[in-house]
Amino acid sequence: MNAPRVLVVVPAHNEEDSLPAILTELREKAPGVDVLVVDDGSRDGTSRAAREAGVPVLRHPVNLGVGGALQTGFQWAVERGYDVAVQLDADGQHDPAYLSVVLAPVLAGRCDVSIGSRFVSSTGYRAPLNRRLGMLLFSGIVRLALGRPISDTTSGFRAYNRAVMRVCQYDFPKDFPDAPLLIALARRGFRLDEVPVVMRERQAGRSFYTLGKQLYYPYKNLLASLMALIRKPA
Amino acid sequence: MMFLSRTQVITALGAVLLALFVLDLVRRRRLSEEYSLLWVMATTVIAILGFSTPLLTWITHALGFMGESSTTFAFGLAFSLAMLLYLSLKLSRLGFENHALTRDLALLRHEVESLRRGGREDSPR
Repeated sequence: MNAPRVLVVVPAHNEEDSLPAILTELREKAPGVDVLVVDDGSRDGTSRAAREAGVPVLRHPVNLGVGGALQTGFQWAVERGYDVAVQLDADGQHDPAYLSVVLAPVLAGRCDVSIGSRFVSSTGYRAPLNRRLGMLLFSGIVRLALGRPISDTTSGFRAYNRAVMRVCQYDFPKDFPDAPLLIALARRGFRLDEVPVVMRERQAGRSFYTLGKQLYYPYKNLLASLMALIRKPA
Repeated sequence: MMFLSRTQVITALGAVLLALFVLDLVRRRRLSEEYSLLWVMATTVIAILGFSTPLLTWITHALGFMGESSTTFAFGLAFSLAMLLYLSLKLSRLGFENHALTRDLALLRHEVESLRRGGREDSPR
């Protein structure tokens, strides 16, 4: 059997400032892997930054959200025969040095989705109170649904194997893929696992969380989690 | 013909005018036949209720409303809610379709650009 082919998918929305650094870092710290940037309807030079770094870039004409960008990445990965895709943020929060850590359980076949978690062991990450409460709530829901704890449901540093990508390229949460996605995947019988990683402060750009979304997000996520629980896996 | 209250006349005429307007929109291809159906049905019902006092009175008593005009407006409101729900469904579906098209467009655009460059370096295996 050939060595498994790994694709790093970098969803990017208005990240021209942070993208060059993270792409350079990826080349240095993970020279063997292919990288794909999905420009999710950026209004700045995100696509140009990716092209200048010599990385293939897929550009959404409008903004779909992280979920949509990831889905496009999965479609690309499945078409081109990749075995594993790793989701890595463009803002520099995810250190490419941990790529092999996140990849390991999936490559070893121990699980189908591996989540780089800030909380598995003490990694010195402290979120603001409202986000901590939200994370607590949703990790509780996921724990109930999965029968095992996933402490960092919002982590966007994950590895997905081909079977998961095949399903997710067509059926995926539209905006942010966290608790509802994990529940839906577990309901389909996919095995999830968590590995400890250290996350950094974002290097540039803005977080996806705005005030309006802070109010809408818990409602949407609660409902979507519930629906993922009671919905028959297609 | 029985005596028509002023409210009845106004509702009935309003319904007829709205139905004509909706049909005209279809004629001018501004509104698709699909969407006109609910409107035409609703306006017909409202117009019948407006013009037919015995039917209106009967329904009012059967449903226990306070007055005939309440019945007419209740039907109108029920229709509005149905229409709004129907539109939300359509919008959600359009959203899903738009989402899928956007993703495919991104993939196809990349394909076209690499074909134009004559490159085959990242063609599907």
